Amino acid sequence: MAARFASFARGQLIALGALALVPLLDLALPAAGMESLQLAGASRSVVVFAILAIGLNIVIGWTGLLNLGIAAFQAIGAYAFAILTWENYPFQIGFWPALVAAALIGALAGALLGAPTLRLRGDYLAIVTLGFGEIVQETLKNVEVVTQGTKGINPLPAPFGLTSDRAILWFYAYLAILVVVVYLCRNLEFSRMGRQWFAVREDELAARCMGIEPDKAKLKAFAAGSALAAVSGALYAAALGSTAEPASYGFEISILALCIVIVGGIGSITGVLVGAMVMLGITDVLLPLASDKLQDAGIGSTANVFSSPNNYKYLPAPGRPRCSTPSPVSTSRPRDACWSRAMCPAGSSPPA
Amino acid sequence: MLVSGHVPSRQLTAGVIAGFLGVGLATAILLTIALRINDVWSASIVELVAAQQLAMQQARAAAADGAAVAPIPFDWTESARRFITTLLGGGLAWSWLPMIAGFAVGASGRAVIWSRTRRTPDVVASAGVARTFQNIRLFPELSLVENVTVGMDRRLSTGFIGSLLALPSALRERAQARAEALKLLQFVGLGEKAEDAAGNLPYGHQRRLEIARALASRPDVILLDEPAAGMNPTETVDLMRLIRAIRDNGTTVVLIEHHMRVVMGISDRIHVLQYGEKIAEGTPTEIRNDPKCIEAYLGKEELG
Repeated sequence: MAARFASFARGQLIALGALALVPLLDLALPAAGMESLQLAGASRSVVVFAILAIGLNIVIGWTGLLNLGIAAFQAIGAYAFAILTWENYPFQIGFWPALVAAALIGALAGALLGAPTLRLRGDYLAIVTLGFGEIVQETLKNVEVVTQGTKGINPLPAPFGLTSDRAILWFYAYLAILVVVVYLCRNLEFSRMGRQWFAVREDELAARCMGIEPDKAKLKAFAAGSALAAVSGALYAAALGSTAEPASYGFEISILALCIVIVGGIGSITGVLVGAMVMLGITDVLLPLASDKLQDAGIGSTANVFSSPNNYKYLPAPGRPRCSTPSPVSTSRPRDACWSRAMCPAGSSPPA
Repeated sequence: MLVSGHVPSRQLTAGVIAGFLGVGLATAILLTIALRINDVWSASIVELVAAQQLAMQQARAAAADGAAVAPIPFDWTESARRFITTLLGGGLAWSWLPMIAGFAVGASGRAVIWSRTRRTPDVVASAGVARTFQNIRLFPELSLVENVTVGMDRRLSTGFIGSLLALPSALRERAQARAEALKLLQFVGLGEKAEDAAGNLPYGHQRRLEIARALASRPDVILLDEPAAGMNPTETVDLMRLIRAIRDNGTTVVLIEHHMRVVMGISDRIHVLQYGEKIAEGTPTEIRNDPKCIEAYLGKEELG
């Protein structure tokens, strides 16, 4: 059983190793005469979202609390990091101190959300956290004096003096941070803390009767998960050189993190790493690639015609349902018969 | 660097710092309140149940010629120590369990166990009262060792930081806890299956695992809620041997059981309850010959 105490599981080493090799394709493909895929940037976002999803995994996978507002903590981390490093604020404490500070502020915010929701479970907790996500977004948008509103805080200084054209070096710096995060979370998983979380997830009453205090365990889970989300946000902002607008920390980011956790297998760090590669591989590499290729082939524009609802009515549609009571319009122009009552209020003619 | 828009003033900076501090303070206050409320809430439920039962019992006692009824139907002092005490009861015996666990022991003033005001189950557990559940409540997805180690939790001292950084003290404690858990599993006869998931165990073994988990906290008192329920004769004999071994190791056992072979076979003292009130007390032989018990459990012989 010594294997269970080892610092990294074999699966985690394989996943991290595979991720480390991906950006090398950027060098290999042009050398082989093929088109570069710009994988370094995508790999960097894999790291950012893997850290976010590892944080979410602590809350959802280990403690069994359904949190749908994890992106809010990413936003909090990004803005805390930005405020602490932006040249127009007097802090400018540098990359590493700001990263740690962002994590602490994220943990604090997590505890702040966790405290009033201790008694909630399942769907109810999901609703509260979802609402919290929206509140944070709106607040950041509207407190313009501090957060610059929809403009976002920019430009942020690049960490380690890296410029955006050195994407590969940047990626390896981030990968090192991911390795540290995985190591720490693995420690937690096999420690007393992790055991308390699992016990609370499996049976809260039984855990309580064994002398565990579920409230404290849940708060710690919330704080730890949010701290990781905040680190992820800080890395995101640092890579972008900007916090971007508050809307980029929206509900769909929370869902993306949830997808990463679930695709890889809930509760497993290895799974999160694989899930991040799969999901970000689809959204950041395959989709842009596919849309480029389709555009090149001229299929893209055709697909647009089909996918846009406004163009739908110009297409011949033999099986289209007709209005049950024929209106004057439909009797005079059977070809343009309205196919939805909602689209053709009585008396109005469909647009030509 | 050219930045379009607003350049924050010194005042604003002060505002941001004040904001951070304010959020921190608010968190601290909210946390304190939330934890307190939860405690008070859980404790009040336990006390409500206990108080209702007490009132019920007193009303019944008043109806039956005003005999005073003790809050606990049996003497909970040193005399109960190191005994297997069985509560043999029609229907309401189980209702004494949360009382013993959560209320009566502390409130009646005879507590040998603890005297703190908060009485949530986790406090009861950390005071040295462990229990098993009638409907088994293991952690099904954790391994046997982990299940037992959770039971040990109140004796461990590793904190969050120690866990996070895998400090040497935390690693040492983890190894010790694991070794001890394996020893306990051996004690209840599940040593070979230590790494299986608890949910995959057969029923009888799950009961044994629950007992091991309860023992892991090194309790002064262990409450077993119908441990023989659903067991076949062989398993029952093994269980009796196990319970005796627990007593011989110096733990007080309180048993709620209907299975007569178990009750008569291992009890040092038996308290017979009928409708939540004690009708007899004594050794198994005494109980067997007690007319009130015979009447309560076998019925009265109709004459004529």
